[in-house]
Amino acid sequence: MTIAEKPFIRPDGKEKVTGVGRYTADMNLTGQLYAKFRYSDHPHARIVRIDTSRAKAVPGVLAVLTHEDVPDVLYGGMVQDRRLFAKEKVRWEGDVIAGIAARTAAIAEEAAALIEVEYEVLDPLPDFAANMDAGASLVHEDWETYGADDSLDRSGNTLGHSSIVKGDADSAMAGADVVVKSRFVADASQGAPIEPRAILAQWHGDRVTVWSSTQVPFAARSGVAHTLDMPESHVRVVVPLLGGGFGSKCDFHFEAHVAALAKAAKRPVKLVFSRHEEFVAPDHRREGMVIELETGANRDGTLVSRRGTLRLDKGAYCGEGGFFAQMAAMHACGPYKIQNISVDSYLNYSTNQPSSSIRAPTAPQTCWAVEQHMDQVAEAIGMDPAELRRRTLIAEGDEGPAGQIFDPIGIKETLEAALDMIGYGKELPDDEAIGVACGWWPSFGVPSGAYVKLNGDGTGTIITGAMESGTGAVMGLPLLAAEVLGMSPEDFSITYQDTDAGPWDMGSSGSQTTFNNGRAVIEAAKEVREKLLDMAADELEAHRDDLELVGGAVQVKGSPGTSVTIADLAGSGEPILGKGSGDVPEAPEVEASACVGRLGMESFLAPQLITHAARVKLDRSTGVVRVLEFAAAHDSGVIINRIGADGQVYGGVMMGIGQALSEMTMFDQDGRQRNPGLLDYKLQTVSDAPKIDIRWIEVDTPNAGPKGSKGVGEPPSVPTSGAIGNAIAKLVGRHVDRLPMTPERVWETMHTEGE
Amino acid sequence: MKYEIILTVNGVAYPVEVDAHASLLHTVRDQVGLTGSKEGCDDSECGACMMLIDGRPVNSCSYLACQADGAEIITVEGLAPGDDLTPLQSAFLAEGGVQCGFCTPGMLISATALLAANPEPTPDEIRVGLSGNLCRCTGYDGIVRAVSKVARG
Repeated sequence: MTIAEKPFIRPDGKEKVTGVGRYTADMNLTGQLYAKFRYSDHPHARIVRIDTSRAKAVPGVLAVLTHEDVPDVLYGGMVQDRRLFAKEKVRWEGDVIAGIAARTAAIAEEAAALIEVEYEVLDPLPDFAANMDAGASLVHEDWETYGADDSLDRSGNTLGHSSIVKGDADSAMAGADVVVKSRFVADASQGAPIEPRAILAQWHGDRVTVWSSTQVPFAARSGVAHTLDMPESHVRVVVPLLGGGFGSKCDFHFEAHVAALAKAAKRPVKLVFSRHEEFVAPDHRREGMVIELETGANRDGTLVSRRGTLRLDKGAYCGEGGFFAQMAAMHACGPYKIQNISVDSYLNYSTNQPSSSIRAPTAPQTCWAVEQHMDQVAEAIGMDPAELRRRTLIAEGDEGPAGQIFDPIGIKETLEAALDMIGYGKELPDDEAIGVACGWWPSFGVPSGAYVKLNGDGTGTIITGAMESGTGAVMGLPLLAAEVLGMSPEDFSITYQDTDAGPWDMGSSGSQTTFNNGRAVIEAAKEVREKLLDMAADELEAHRDDLELVGGAVQVKGSPGTSVTIADLAGSGEPILGKGSGDVPEAPEVEASACVGRLGMESFLAPQLITHAARVKLDRSTGVVRVLEFAAAHDSGVIINRIGADGQVYGGVMMGIGQALSEMTMFDQDGRQRNPGLLDYKLQTVSDAPKIDIRWIEVDTPNAGPKGSKGVGEPPSVPTSGAIGNAIAKLVGRHVDRLPMTPERVWETMHTEGE
Repeated sequence: MKYEIILTVNGVAYPVEVDAHASLLHTVRDQVGLTGSKEGCDDSECGACMMLIDGRPVNSCSYLACQADGAEIITVEGLAPGDDLTPLQSAFLAEGGVQCGFCTPGMLISATALLAANPEPTPDEIRVGLSGNLCRCTGYDGIVRAVSKVARG
C-alpha cells in the first residue's frame, strides 16, 4: 500500500550530513547584536520597582526593554493571560522581566544582572492539585477580566474543566461484579530537542524579518503582530533548518522580544538559548498530573462503569495548552467499550513552568495510569490482561465515550500484532516480564495550503506553508505531487518555512502535516494536471479525456508516440501554477450534551490506534529496569512513506521509554527546576535502546488524510510507559504509581507494604 | 590577553587570535566560519559538537581552542573529500538515521572514529561507541543500522 516503495532519500539529507545546512543559530548578520533576558528572581512575587539605569550605562549595551517599552498587550491561546515582559507580577521562575541587546553576549549578560528589581515576595503555589481547593490563593487575581474561549469552564485557578459523561456511572458502579480504584501521579517532563532555540530579527523600515527555530511559523508571525501591534503583512517569519521540537517549539515564544530589541537598537539582534534556558525559560513542558480512576467490571470483562478525576498542572500561563482538560478526559476513557462514564478533568494554574504541547500532550501520562488500571481490573476479575483488552477494545460501529460511532479501525489487530511480535506467553526468566498497553490519539483536520508550479525544464516546485521539524513530513510531499503529475519525486524542489511564500498552515503540531498539507499538495497538483491536459489537448489535437500523464509527458492513452513533454508545455512561457487546500475532514458530530468544557475533542477524527508490548528485566537489588525488547503495532491508516513512519515509531518509543523510566523535571518546594541540564535530566542513549519491532495495520480510513492515511508522529509515545509499567508490576507484584518509574520508586514499591 | 594560534581544520590552516578560555567549538564556528558542529549543551553531554582531533573524537565545546593549536582537526564538513558522500553519510540517509539533523554532525564524527579504530564492530560495540551522542528523533535505530551496514562493507 505504501507509495514510497523504493527508498526515498529526503531532499534535505545531503546538507544535513555534510554540515552545510543552516540552523538558526548558524546565521549571522552584519552589525548584529546579542540578546539576553533578565528572568524573575522568584517563582511568585509582586513587582514593586524595576530600575534599568545601571544596565543601560554598561558600554556596549544598545537596548534594554521592559513592559514599559512595548504595547500593553495580553496574549495566549484559549486564555489571554500573559505579557511579553512581566508587569505587576511574576508567576514562575522563567517570567521575563527585561531584555537586553548588546555588542556581545557577555556584555548583555553582565547588563542583565545589573537590572535592579524590587519585589514583594508571595508564597509560591506549586501544588496544582491543591490550587483548585476553596480559599486557595490565586495565580491570576484578574482571571475573570481575561479574554478567553467561551467553551472553557473556568473558575479561579482552574482555567479549564471538562467532563465526559455517558449514562449513569454511579448506579452502574454499584451493580458491577468488582470495583477497582487507583491513584497515579505523573511528574513533569520535557520535549528536550537537541537544538536549543535561536531567534534572529532584522528590520527593514516598518517591516521585520524574524528567523526562528519555531515549529509554527504562522503562529509566531501572528504573535509578533499582535504583541507589537503591527499588521501581519509587516512580519515575515523564516525558519532555517529546525533541530527538532517535539512540541516544545510550538506556539509563539520569544520572537517578539527579539524583534522589539532589534527595533529599539536599530540593529539586527540574535538570541541563542543555553541548554539551561532551554529547560527553564520556554512555556512548554509536559504537564504533571494526578489521576484517580475507578472502574466497575463484570467477571466476563464487561466494563460497566468508569469514574475518574484528573488534575493537570498548567503552570503559570495558558499558552496553547488550553485544551488539555478535555484531551486528558478522553484518554481517561481510552479506546474501550465502557457502558457508563463520568470523568472530570481540571487544568489548574500553578507557579510552575507553564506546560503546553509536548508530543501527544496529556496522553502518555493518562494512558500510563489507565493501562495499569486496566491490568488491575483484569487481576480483580481473574482474567489475562490481553484477554480483557481483546474483549473490550473498540471496533467499527462501536460507540465512543461521548457517543461517537467509529468507522473501520484496527486496534484489535494492533493488539494481536503486538502480542505476536513480542511472543506473549513465552517462557521467561524470573527477572523478566512482558507488559501490554493500548492507546489512541486523534487526527486533526485543519485548513492548510500549498502551491505547485512548473519550471521551464519540466521540473516542479512545491511552495508550502508546512513546517519540517525533522520528521520528514514536508520532505515526503514530492511523493504526492509526483504521483498526480506522472513525474518523479526527485523532479521537485520545495520552498517552505517562509510565511511570505507559502499559504497558512498550522505548523509542525498535532501530527497534521501529511494529513492536511498532503491533501493541499495533491489538490494543487491536480490543478496543474488540469492545466497540462488542456494545453496538451490543444497541442496534440486530441480530446483531453484520452490523455494521461506518464514519465514527465502527456500522452494519448496507450500511445507513447503521440505525446508532448511537460518541459515543452511548461517551457512555453505560460505560467503553470496550481493552488490547493481541499476539503477539511471533520470529526463526527456527537450530541454529548451532558459533557461540559466541550472543545471539539469529545469526538476523535480518524483515531490513530496503538498497542505496545514491552519485555523488561528488573534488577531486584537496585530497582533498575531495562527494556530488552519492544513491539509497536500501529493503525495510522495507509502509510505513505514507510521510512518516515518507521522513524517516528523508533523515535517516539525511545522518548516514551525515557518518560517511563528516567525523564523527570524535578521542582524544589518553591517550584524551581532542580535538574535543568542533560546530566541530571536523563534522556535515553543508544545503549538503552532495545530491539524495536514495528507492524503497521493499514486500515484504509474514510474521512481521513490523503489516501486513507492518518497522523503518525505523536502516538508512538502514548502507550509506551503503560506497557513498561505493566511489565514492572508483574515482577514487583504491585503497580508503581509514580511516573517516571525510576529505580528508587521501583525499589520503594517493592519494599512498601501494599493494601 | 589574546593568544595567536593556528587551527588546522579539514586540512586548511587558519591563524586565529583567541582568549585563553575560548572553546574550540566557538572558535571554529565564529572565527573559522564552519558551523556544521553544533552546540546542544556546552557541557559534554549531548555530543553534537564532536570533532576529530588528531583522529580522536572530542567534545569541542569543552576543549580549549589553545589546546588544539597545531593539531589536525576534522569537522563534519571535512568528512567527504569531494562532492560525493562518504559511505557512512550515504548509509545514514538510506537507513533513516537522519531526521532533524542537529545531532548528525556529532554522530558522524563518533561513528567515523569508531570505524577507524574498529572496522568491524559488533552491534554492542557500535552502541558503546555512540553512547556519548544524544539523538531525540530517530530512536537510534537507523543510526545503528547505518553504521552496521558500512562496517559489513
